[in-house]
Amino acid sequence: MTAPLNRKQFWRLTVTGTVAFLGFWYLARLLHFSPPQFLPMPHEVLIKMIDLLHNPFAGATLPEHMLASMKRFGMGFGLAALIGVPLGLAMGWFRWLDDVVTPLFDSVRFIAPVAWVPFAALWFGTGIGGPTLIIFAGAFPPCLINAYRGARDVDIRYLEAASMLGVGSFKTISEVLFPASIPSIIAGLRIGAGLGWLSLVGAELIVASSGMGNLIVRAQSALATDTVMAGMIAIGMVGVVIDVLIRKLERILLKHRNA
Amino acid sequence: MARTQPKSYRRVVVGIATVSLLLALWYVATTATGFINPSRFPRPHEVLSAFNFIQTEGYGNGKLHQHVLHSLKLVAMGFSVAVGVGVPLGLLMGYSRRAEALINPAFLLLRPIPPLAWIPLAIVWLGLDDGSKILVIFVAAFVPSVINSYTGVRNIETPITEAARMLGIKGWRLVFEVLVPGAMPMIFTGLRLSLQASWTTLVAAELIGALYGLGSILNQAAQDIFPAMILVAMVFVGVCGASTTWLLGRLENLAMPWRHGRVAA
Amino acid sequence: MATIQFTDVTRIFQRDGKDFLTLDQINLTVQDQEFVAIVGPSGCGKTTCMRMAAGLEFPSSGTVKVNNVVVTEPGPDRAVVFQQFALFPWKSVHENIDFGLRSKGLPKEEREKLIAHYIELMNLKGYESAYPHQLSGGMQQRVAIARAYALDPQVLLMDEPFGALDAQTRVVMQEELVRLARKNPRTVLFITHAVEEAVYLADRVVVMTSRPGKIKEILDVRSVREAEKWDRHSKIEDVMDLESFVHLRTRIWKSLREEHAGTDH
Repeated sequence: MTAPLNRKQFWRLTVTGTVAFLGFWYLARLLHFSPPQFLPMPHEVLIKMIDLLHNPFAGATLPEHMLASMKRFGMGFGLAALIGVPLGLAMGWFRWLDDVVTPLFDSVRFIAPVAWVPFAALWFGTGIGGPTLIIFAGAFPPCLINAYRGARDVDIRYLEAASMLGVGSFKTISEVLFPASIPSIIAGLRIGAGLGWLSLVGAELIVASSGMGNLIVRAQSALATDTVMAGMIAIGMVGVVIDVLIRKLERILLKHRNA
Repeated sequence: MARTQPKSYRRVVVGIATVSLLLALWYVATTATGFINPSRFPRPHEVLSAFNFIQTEGYGNGKLHQHVLHSLKLVAMGFSVAVGVGVPLGLLMGYSRRAEALINPAFLLLRPIPPLAWIPLAIVWLGLDDGSKILVIFVAAFVPSVINSYTGVRNIETPITEAARMLGIKGWRLVFEVLVPGAMPMIFTGLRLSLQASWTTLVAAELIGALYGLGSILNQAAQDIFPAMILVAMVFVGVCGASTTWLLGRLENLAMPWRHGRVAA
Repeated sequence: MATIQFTDVTRIFQRDGKDFLTLDQINLTVQDQEFVAIVGPSGCGKTTCMRMAAGLEFPSSGTVKVNNVVVTEPGPDRAVVFQQFALFPWKSVHENIDFGLRSKGLPKEEREKLIAHYIELMNLKGYESAYPHQLSGGMQQRVAIARAYALDPQVLLMDEPFGALDAQTRVVMQEELVRLARKNPRTVLFITHAVEEAVYLADRVVVMTSRPGKIKEILDVRSVREAEKWDRHSKIEDVMDLESFVHLRTRIWKSLREEHAGTDH
């Protein structure tokens, strides 16, 4: 690779890149590349975002929409993690479980989470069950797979030591497999959270009356592009925050390792 | 719990047994006992007849193969452009720290926004035609390709890049004979993720509004409250996803012949 | 005429805002076609010396010259054999050796002749189409050595090339290298922590102190080797039995032991 940059070079290039990006954006507008309602200027998006903090759009303010989305996400992701991680670890330990679950899992794995929306709507109407199902469909596979792989890749010597000490299955899973698989589990949680958040937004685009996805789709039909973009950025920011929180969780869990 | 791979025939047998058991349960729960309401979940024979129907008569503006082909076409277009731009960009950012510093700001802003969140914007810009779908697929497939190509280059072991420099390898030769092959495993990881993202996004976009495509079937069937057709569409979404992924896997084996293990000397 | 010249070379390494002196005023000249080995405790900077001659690292002060030209970047005139082999996993044995030759712009006929010659010389016949992962460590290092020699470099730089091999393979490789070096003498700078290896292979052995690395002493092995006619014995164990060999080896061991006593590992 080319040589690492010193601080000055790094910041110079980063600033240039940022300015260039914003510049192209502004330029696209100035050159009438598209009509104003299709492409708001960067600062207009920012202003709109601040505006939405207080003034409602599509029935609620930005924070209220955000909260609605987060509630659904919490349920769906929580369920996916609470079922997926222990199940994955157990599958890594009990081979018969692996043999039973894997074919089932493989057959539904390729169905995009969003494809569950019609059934979700049919079964749960507009209740919280619908989005929860879809988030679960998105977040469950990574949680499961990563926990499973983490358990399978555990150094066999730890397991031999546990068996020599006469430790039972449940304790082995919870006190040997789980701690050893934490990095893999965390990776799975991060991917799962990302996919879950993505699926939630998708679900809300289609079958919700509140929430971030609903916000931007209503803004789209009103051709309020600045709101659409503000919503998109807010969605992105929340995704980042969730990811950061999971990484913090990893640090807490691994505190015991690095003395 | 040996770390050895379970015998594959046993796995297949148990797999078939489990799936058969489930199918049997499905039949019992819906047809035999009526435990599950047919308006909630279709009965096996209903699904078969729906499948037959859409194949021969068509549903929602077209026959099954027309829908499938349409979806495939859009995914192919969005995916290829995304990969065609994303992989070289990722390689560039991985190799040149200058390029990385310059491009990163724009990328960091766009990256966290989930591809599905682009759908409304794409509709504003390009309406409900194929164009908006391709745009969204592009965005979805673009990010994983860039990130994984970038990681792929960065993960090339230092002795290898040093050996290349020592041998005097520069320019395009360095790119095509060292960087690309070196990053290839991760490039393919990126391609797999891009493909997965492409399908997810397409189905969502078509669900929201489209004339053709698997997502449009889902949409129509949901509106008509036709659970059997919903299931047919879902199955085919899975089938398309699985088969394109399988194809990618074969491509991966072709692209990296050096990975095949024969016995070591 | 290919010489390596270290003049007042000092290397300061920065970490966490602190400066660590790793090399202190190194002055050393490797004469044309001379085989010089550097031994020293871990962290003494011996590998850094080699890497500076290779152009992979640079002195903080002082100059490193090869053939009276200051070293500014790596190149095929200063071929390196890495401890980790650094073969390209996606290229066959043949392609690995060919890669550097192609970069030099040699015509195909000439390249093929060279490759065939070195494959024969390094006992690689039959493995031309094998990939590195199919080969044992010793075989891979043979390829790396073949690759380096085929470049017809002015200078050969070897960084603990046999460090990653098991004891038996190591001995075989040492014998092969000696045969090659006597037949095809070149200017070689050889880094190792194995004293016996250094005494067996080199014309002169440089002993370095522990960090900050300085040259403690330089012993002339060649005159002893020629006077006592070590090359009479083809087997390494016979040479290592000779009194003159043992004497030199013990001398260097003692010198190094003082260095180890100084460090608090």
